[in-house]
Amino acid sequence: MIRFENVSKKYPLGNSALDDVSFNVENNEFVFLVGPSGAGKTSILKILMHEMVPTSGKVVIDNEDVSAKNFHDVPRLRRKIGFVFQDFKIIPDKNVFENIALSLQVVGAPMGQIKKAVQETLELVNLPGKAHVFPIQLSAGELQRVAIARAIIGNRSHILADEPTGNLDPKTTWEIMRIFKKLEDKKTIIIATHNTDIVNSLKKRVIVMKDGKIVADKKKGGYDL
Amino acid sequence: MNTVFTSIRRTPYQSIAATLVLFLTLFLSLAILFSLTFLYGLLGYVETRPQVTVYFKAQTPENSIFQLRDELTATGKVLSTKYISKNEAFSIYKESNKDNPLLLEMVSSDILPPSLEINAKKPTYLPELAEQLKKNPNVDEVNFQKVIIDRLLTLTDIIRKISFVFFSFLIFTTIIILITIMHFKVALKREEIELSRLLGAGSFYIQRPFLLEAGFFGIASALISFSIFSGILLYLNPFISSYIRGISNLSINFLDVYQLSVWPLNPTFLGILFTIVALFGIIISTIASLLATQKYIK
Repeated sequence: MIRFENVSKKYPLGNSALDDVSFNVENNEFVFLVGPSGAGKTSILKILMHEMVPTSGKVVIDNEDVSAKNFHDVPRLRRKIGFVFQDFKIIPDKNVFENIALSLQVVGAPMGQIKKAVQETLELVNLPGKAHVFPIQLSAGELQRVAIARAIIGNRSHILADEPTGNLDPKTTWEIMRIFKKLEDKKTIIIATHNTDIVNSLKKRVIVMKDGKIVADKKKGGYDL
Repeated sequence: MNTVFTSIRRTPYQSIAATLVLFLTLFLSLAILFSLTFLYGLLGYVETRPQVTVYFKAQTPENSIFQLRDELTATGKVLSTKYISKNEAFSIYKESNKDNPLLLEMVSSDILPPSLEINAKKPTYLPELAEQLKKNPNVDEVNFQKVIIDRLLTLTDIIRKISFVFFSFLIFTTIIILITIMHFKVALKREEIELSRLLGAGSFYIQRPFLLEAGFFGIASALISFSIFSGILLYLNPFISSYIRGISNLSINFLDVYQLSVWPLNPTFLGILFTIVALFGIIISTIASLLATQKYIK
């Protein structure tokens, strides 16, 4: 479970990214974070990843206050979270297998387990037979599927995605969303997006943000700004 | 090891540069280390020779000589003494000149003086002991190897000081160069490092491939420098042997616990040299690698 309690993030020059934000996300819930650029969507994801520390407020993940000053075990926190980036962040000189395997290597998984898990995940993201292909040989949609595979492999219970379809055409966008749909009720999924079609079609919980504040939080919402 | 070889293959120039810098440092370190151990061995050898030989007047009674020997021992500065009587001196003389009957005819035991060979605990005590001996009315002549020992002490001291300064500069320069080279390597993997951090990699996971690579450079450089240095030593072996002709063995003493033979060249000494230089190479490259990756793991 994820809990934000009156979280604010202010920068030294006075501008703020988040202003008194509070919300809960239950385990295995599917949530869209929507809002215009600069609304604070990415800040929320960065705080969850501990890439950014809030100025005030409390962030609790699985009953652990990850915003506390004495919280230092960032690697353990990040091993619970799979992150999907808009720009994929695929390592160009590693093949698909190596890119996905990285997610398990960092937790010290044995190679036998890694091989099996990568094969299963490649099936899940519809990339069977692409294990030994290099990124340069893949389309944008396929690259994003590799990124999703890397995020969901192993026991990562939370999937955070920042504009995962931002660089993709509509057809590929839907292919990607179908993968996220497959994970529904298995992992907690938070997707920050601008894509109105997806948000309106999937009818999931939508948290709407504007100027660093939550302006709406609907259980089966649409993209209303 | 696959990661190490992949990294070397992908950044060949940086890998060669790192190996060459380490090779140069380790080769010079070997040369300094060998020179110092050799010189200390030589110093130790000279120190084990009779350092002061006191020749007494021919008519000096033995009990006066023994009294003087006891006085010297009581100073606490003398390691050992050896009394050589007239007869023993004559025997030594005969043995030394057995091929020259003319010389043997000219000398009898009566004209050879009794003598006392003295080893001091430290070479610095020698002048003091010599002065004390000269004051004794029975003493005819005092010979001591002050000049040789002084020169050897001065030389060893100078080499040790120069080595220390040179060594410090060498280590500093090598580490700086290695950090720069490793920075290149780390920068090339920056994207992967950042991603690994986001996926939950700990600091050691990030540093491990660079540390392994550093260790590999250390061992490879140590092997190359040791092989070349050993080759040079073997080539110079006849020259060094003729230079120290008459000295069959040089060794250094570690706190009276272990005696290491440094000459003639032997596998134990060479093994110790290699171990020291390999450890040195690994330590230097590991320090450089740790410093180079420090920035990226924060």
